Amino acid sequence: MGSKTLQRKMDKLLALEEQGKLQSSNTSRSLRKLMANPLAIIGLVLFVVMFLACMGAPLISTYGPNAIDLRNRLSPPGEGHLLGTDQIGRDIFTRILYGGRISIFVGLGSALGAALIGVSLGTYAGYRRGMLDATVMKVSEIMMSFPQIILVSILVTIVGQSLWNLLLIFILTGWPSMYRMARSQMLSIREQEYIQALQAFGIGGFTISFKHMLPNAIGPIFVNITLSTAMFILQEAALSFLGLGVPLEQATWGNILNVAQDLNILRNAWWVWLPVGLVITIFVMAINFIGDGLRDAADPTQVG
Amino acid sequence: MLLVISFLIFLGIELMPGDAVDFMIPPDALALISPAELDQLRSELGLDDPFLVRYVTWITNMAKGDFGYSLQSGVAVSTLLSNTLPATLELSVAALVISTLLGSLLGVVSALNKGRIGDNVLTVAGMIGVAIPQFLFGLIMIVLFVFNLQWLPVGGRMTPGSEGFFQRIDHLILPAIVLGLSMTAGVMRYSRSSMLDSLNKEFIKTARSKGIPEWRVNLVHGLRVAMTPVAVLIGFRLPMLIGGSVVIEQVFQWPGVGQMFVAAVRSQNTPIIMMVAFFSVLIVLVASILVDIATALLDPRVKLS
Repeated sequence: MGSKTLQRKMDKLLALEEQGKLQSSNTSRSLRKLMANPLAIIGLVLFVVMFLACMGAPLISTYGPNAIDLRNRLSPPGEGHLLGTDQIGRDIFTRILYGGRISIFVGLGSALGAALIGVSLGTYAGYRRGMLDATVMKVSEIMMSFPQIILVSILVTIVGQSLWNLLLIFILTGWPSMYRMARSQMLSIREQEYIQALQAFGIGGFTISFKHMLPNAIGPIFVNITLSTAMFILQEAALSFLGLGVPLEQATWGNILNVAQDLNILRNAWWVWLPVGLVITIFVMAINFIGDGLRDAADPTQVG
Repeated sequence: MLLVISFLIFLGIELMPGDAVDFMIPPDALALISPAELDQLRSELGLDDPFLVRYVTWITNMAKGDFGYSLQSGVAVSTLLSNTLPATLELSVAALVISTLLGSLLGVVSALNKGRIGDNVLTVAGMIGVAIPQFLFGLIMIVLFVFNLQWLPVGGRMTPGSEGFFQRIDHLILPAIVLGLSMTAGVMRYSRSSMLDSLNKEFIKTARSKGIPEWRVNLVHGLRVAMTPVAVLIGFRLPMLIGGSVVIEQVFQWPGVGQMFVAAVRSQNTPIIMMVAFFSVLIVLVASILVDIATALLDPRVKLS
């Protein structure tokens, strides 16, 4: 990285700022940095395209996700069925679109739910410290000492298999890491002087922690939410592959892949499992690109 | 800590629908047994006792090495564990070795070539490696090497009739490589940044200014410092390794603890679920203690408290 080009860039930015063409607020600078990151843009575009395709599934495909075409069982990709059909004649392409709805919903919903619990606990407990913090910390330690997949499987057996239960379980097992992240952010922010000033004004703990501290930690939180979304989508796929995820009747990316356990299909009908596998990989990669881009934009100290 | 967790696991199992008696009696035999007899059976097995009493019985039995019996086959869980554990250990150790060696090697290569084509290729490969579901990678490998190239056998741990480690190593290759490679990406990323970090330190400049050849500076002075955190990372990857082996064992029909666990979860075979959960937590906790000790030994700035 040449320092001269960097300097020239900075000069240009300064000049623009002086002309009042650029807002110098922090958020817009982060946004600009995000937009200058080609990988993040690719990720964003892929994400939006796939998201819209799944949400608009009925507009794109004329088949129903569970419509059975018994004359065309396991037919390879071709006319009529864009990506072929599975062993009972359901259109794979349609199922990938509809499955994406559930998979994205589970991934995004779990990440947001876990963030809601983890971040709000972490924000308040991180500011207050004391008993509350110690207790929640212990609970999160206990939960994090289970390998995720073991804990999730046990919970699945307890509450039973369903879409909503899976979402609930992911939230339940996902909040501890969010909590720790938010808490550590709070611990460093609370040492800053403006917090002392706020306390001296007699402003309550809730207001200080949520209104005045949380916005300063929002960058890492967003990064964490994106990366967790990717993680939960992968977990849903793995669980469904093991037969412990969303019930098989409902199309999800993981459930479509589940049939690949059948060696015959694995060997002779690649179109049943390979496209959906690629879709998962690309989607997760897109989210990771966005997450990495966000991190680089929000945190100038991390390079590479 | 462990006690709390064991209590939670027990509580969790308690909340699962059905109890041991429901699973011991096949549905067709249920019609022949009166509810009174069922109750008698329950009290004989101690299922009528209050929750806490049963917990204490369970934990003391476990301390004595009695882990209970499988609800389906009636075989002692300790026997089942000793049957499946060697297979899992074999797979995990192989995967751990592969991911550690390959991950740190590629990471260092990537760091030394920062910004050049080799680094970029490895970075992209790492991104794909993180995003691809482990089992999908396994499936692709099966199709490639087993079906199309027919180099390796499919599934299981050994061909019937073969003896000795080297006769069945062909069964181990694929699952170990898949599990190992899927964990390599993380190690690679970590060792790359660790190596870059250490190459920016002052002592590297000192070493260079002393006229030490570049490769010696990189490999002797830089690497030693960079690899310490990577070595410590091994401990943190254990939970991932356990989780990964559950999935990979299923893909390759590897007769290990993970496969037993999945089967147990499907059939609600509670003693097995409990034991596997308990032991995996135990391993993770022991590993994190070992990580602390190792960090203190390797890094003089850290003190054990």
